Amino acid sequence: MAVQEKGILNRLYFVAGCMFIFGIAVVFKLFSIQFIQGDKYREMADKRDIKEMVIPANRGNVYSSNGNLLATSIPKYDIRFDALASSNKNFEKHIKGLSDSLSVYFGKPSSYYTQKLRKERKNKSRYLLLARNIGYSQYLRFRSFPLLNLGAYKGGLIVEQSTKREYPLGVVAQRTIGYERKDEAGNVTRPGIDGAFGESYLKGKDGLRLKQKIGKGQWKPIVDYDHVEPVDGYDVYTTIDVNIQDIAHHALLEQLEYYEAEHGCVVVMDVKTGEIKAIANLGRTSTNTYYEKLNYAVGESHEPGSSFKLMALMVALEDKKIDTSTIVDTGRGKKHFYGRYITDSKTGGYGKISAARALEVSSNIGLATLIDDAYADNPQQFIDKLKSWHLNERLGVAIKGEGKPDIPQPGDKKWSRNALPSIAYGYNLRLTPLQTLAFYNAIANNGKMVKPRFIKEVKEHSKSIEKFDEMILVDQIASKETLDKIHEILKNTVERGTGSSLYSKYFSMAGKTGTTRVEYWKDGWEENPKYISSFTGYFPAENPKYSCIVVIHEPKVKKGFYGADVSGPVFKKVAQKIFTDTPIKEEIKSLNAETVQLTKDYNSYNDKARTYITIMPSVVGLPVMDAVALLENMGLKVVFNKTGRVKSQSISKGIKVKANQTIELEVS
Amino acid sequence: MEMKTVFNNIKGDRLIWALVALLAIFSFLPVYSASSNLAYVTGSGNTFTFFIKHFIHLLMGFGIMYGVHKFPYRYFRGLSLIMLPLVIVLLIITMIQGTTIDGANASRWIRIPIVGVSFQTSTFASVVLMVYVARYLSKIKDEKVSFKETILPLWFPVFLVLMLILPSNFSTTAIIFSMVLVLTFLGGYPIRYLAAIVGAGLIGFIMFVLVAKAFPDAMPNRVDTWISRIENFSDNADTKEDYQIEKAKIAIASGGIKGVGPGKSIQKNFLPQSSSDFIFAIIIEEYGMIGGLFLLLMYMFLLFRIVIVAQKSDSVFGKLLVLGVGIPIIFQALINMAVAVELFPVTGQTLPFVSSGGTSIWMSCLAIGIILSVSAKREELKQKESNDLDEDLEDNPLEVLSEAM
Repeated sequence: MAVQEKGILNRLYFVAGCMFIFGIAVVFKLFSIQFIQGDKYREMADKRDIKEMVIPANRGNVYSSNGNLLATSIPKYDIRFDALASSNKNFEKHIKGLSDSLSVYFGKPSSYYTQKLRKERKNKSRYLLLARNIGYSQYLRFRSFPLLNLGAYKGGLIVEQSTKREYPLGVVAQRTIGYERKDEAGNVTRPGIDGAFGESYLKGKDGLRLKQKIGKGQWKPIVDYDHVEPVDGYDVYTTIDVNIQDIAHHALLEQLEYYEAEHGCVVVMDVKTGEIKAIANLGRTSTNTYYEKLNYAVGESHEPGSSFKLMALMVALEDKKIDTSTIVDTGRGKKHFYGRYITDSKTGGYGKISAARALEVSSNIGLATLIDDAYADNPQQFIDKLKSWHLNERLGVAIKGEGKPDIPQPGDKKWSRNALPSIAYGYNLRLTPLQTLAFYNAIANNGKMVKPRFIKEVKEHSKSIEKFDEMILVDQIASKETLDKIHEILKNTVERGTGSSLYSKYFSMAGKTGTTRVEYWKDGWEENPKYISSFTGYFPAENPKYSCIVVIHEPKVKKGFYGADVSGPVFKKVAQKIFTDTPIKEEIKSLNAETVQLTKDYNSYNDKARTYITIMPSVVGLPVMDAVALLENMGLKVVFNKTGRVKSQSISKGIKVKANQTIELEVS
Repeated sequence: MEMKTVFNNIKGDRLIWALVALLAIFSFLPVYSASSNLAYVTGSGNTFTFFIKHFIHLLMGFGIMYGVHKFPYRYFRGLSLIMLPLVIVLLIITMIQGTTIDGANASRWIRIPIVGVSFQTSTFASVVLMVYVARYLSKIKDEKVSFKETILPLWFPVFLVLMLILPSNFSTTAIIFSMVLVLTFLGGYPIRYLAAIVGAGLIGFIMFVLVAKAFPDAMPNRVDTWISRIENFSDNADTKEDYQIEKAKIAIASGGIKGVGPGKSIQKNFLPQSSSDFIFAIIIEEYGMIGGLFLLLMYMFLLFRIVIVAQKSDSVFGKLLVLGVGIPIIFQALINMAVAVELFPVTGQTLPFVSSGGTSIWMSCLAIGIILSVSAKREELKQKESNDLDEDLEDNPLEVLSEAM
């Protein structure tokens, strides 16, 4: 036995030795992994399991000038359902409850959902869409539904969050408020204010966070702070006034619908500061409804037509080539110019009129003749004056896609002897509505030309980051003398010229109509004429506060096409509605006088009510309603014929009365 | 007072007690860390339940260990005879029942009806079988036996148990078989007979594979899994095992000398079975080479103590019993580590006392309990001798304390 035990031990040492060697082998392999292959595997670890996740910064809000929200970012949720996630027990237990909840939410019968959910589970659907783009409160509601409230793993709830830009005003000023959109190819379109100030202010800075993979496609943050903190975007306060915008939008819409026009725009600008208070752009869809299709006011340059006559006349006045009283012969409404005819809209013509009158009645011949006579031998001088007002340059507004103006000059391909008289009444050149408005605004602003702008202030919460003041483009476009004359003419245009139909004695406005032919070079224009109707001006005529331009393209000619008929009413409506807030002329007589009388009546009523309880008082002179109240409180029945003040009473003063006694009042 | 009674009552090799306790205490760190991913992914979000579970497993394990070590080891002789048929019945039940774990058809688990915990019968069978083999070897120690004579009492029960485990768990079968071979080798079983048995084992295994291939419906999944595992160890195709090994190696490489620190393992999130089969990789990632070597040293030290206990045991049965249940623990630990460092194909063996999982902990504790029982008997004998010499008081300091109280 002893030998046997010894044998066991010897063999044991052998086995233990083998195991020890095995252990050494493990250690050897361990070293080899750590030191020989180590770098390779460590690199694999970093690459696969750690990544920088972008934490998107919150995009700033866009506000109107008075603090109304125009654009904001809010989270939206897509709710999906993994039909396989839940156990049979849970599925069977909650399917009824879930179906009922869905039924209440969507309105379809509960049995429909039971059937659908069962079908999807059978089909092993793991990504069934339940609701798309719902808000936070609705998302919370979904999360509380039976089964879904068990969460992702037990209930199969899949929530995908995205941030959506919301526009509380809806379609109003949509194009100007703008947005930033990326298509699948990665191209970014950035229209409007949101687009223009997106990169510089609204966007903010995305944060970064190191995350580590924890399997099953899930990532967890490595540390509890962000690697790079996201910086939220600033809020942009625009110059848009929601009330004026609303007025402009609806006034334009109404007119476009009535005239079945192709498209149109309205811009309202603050005279002193150049702030754009409202900008509405509406285009027609294939179903004849209108929406903010393109920013016509900023982007579309076209022949301005008659509204440009003002600029032409101003050039001549400034150069002292003519005076407002200079007489021009417009003849019988048709005049020959270098091989073609220029006509006036009035049949029979205006005859011999003053230069001022020529503008008031918008005589093409008048302006063409005046300018041609003055500048035919030196057209460059005329063009140079226009250039000094920067009319040939873009305004450089922040919104992308500003249309390029085009004013030809001698030497250009487009230039001909006819170019000068054409320009004089607004053809052969192109301007955007905003550019035209900026010039009219300068006139209203006593010669100071300010740049139209859309942004007022940039804020971080309530802290101001940057404030924007007016930007002067031209200090003084013309002498005070010229401006006074122009003010007078524009006022008269509304009072007795082409805009006389718009005249209102309650509020004053000044402006110029425009009726421009479009595509007149095409064949068949005579049978199917097309016009742009515009009205540009400012209000009130004295100390103007706002300038405004209304442009409507291609109204139904049958219904009307003159600037005064089509665009003028929009202008008037905007002016009128703005001025119900700030009336120039007090319509109502002073309220104070009435108050004195009222107090007196009230006091005498009180005296009488306190003094007379059973004895008839004199109610003569009291308003009848007071008398009735007084007498009925004494228990009398009152008969009277009309309202007014009491002239006489059937029971004299001082007589004792009883309840239910009838008294007749005679009212004056 | 309480503690003292406990210390008073524990018998056997104190160093083994200490080593096992140390391993168990250490195990909380990686198990708790590795369970965080499990808690996160299963959505319960509570890692503490895993901690409690592990604690309860260990507590029960130490209960088993304490109970068993109080048991005079000579009773294991007879007990193994009674337990073996029981184990075979349990294995058959397990095979029929076919509990599915992680979607794979692995009939390895049985649910204990009253307690409600799952239990891996093959691990228990392994312990019982080793005791049975040790008993048989000690019984024939003085006899000269022929090969034929050993077939029925020794190899028939061994192969019966192995065949019942094989369909669901090849690696465990292979390990038990090797352990039986090692034990019979230690027990002085003639080497030429062993060679015949190994040959028979191989033939039996090949037969099984051929049958499984011919009737794939009878044994779904398993055979293919082994073949792929072994193929995969030798070729370069990307498979699930490659993924595990790669993650394990990334974990080991990221650990470096000092490790990334407790709880900071990254690979625990990707390594399936990060708290059991691949816990060694996670330990190295978090505690570095230092932690890994420390752990290896602990097992080597445990092996050393087992050898000492075996050496000092007064009987052949005692020696073989200690080695029969002790060596598999160390072997299993080495296999687990070898898998993590890609020295061995992926087998799914746990790290004794450290990995989470009840069965592994309980059976390792059962084995240690048996070893301690043998060691306690030796102490008892020594004590008796000392008592005779009236020197006992100096010999045992704890005894002194208890007397003083």
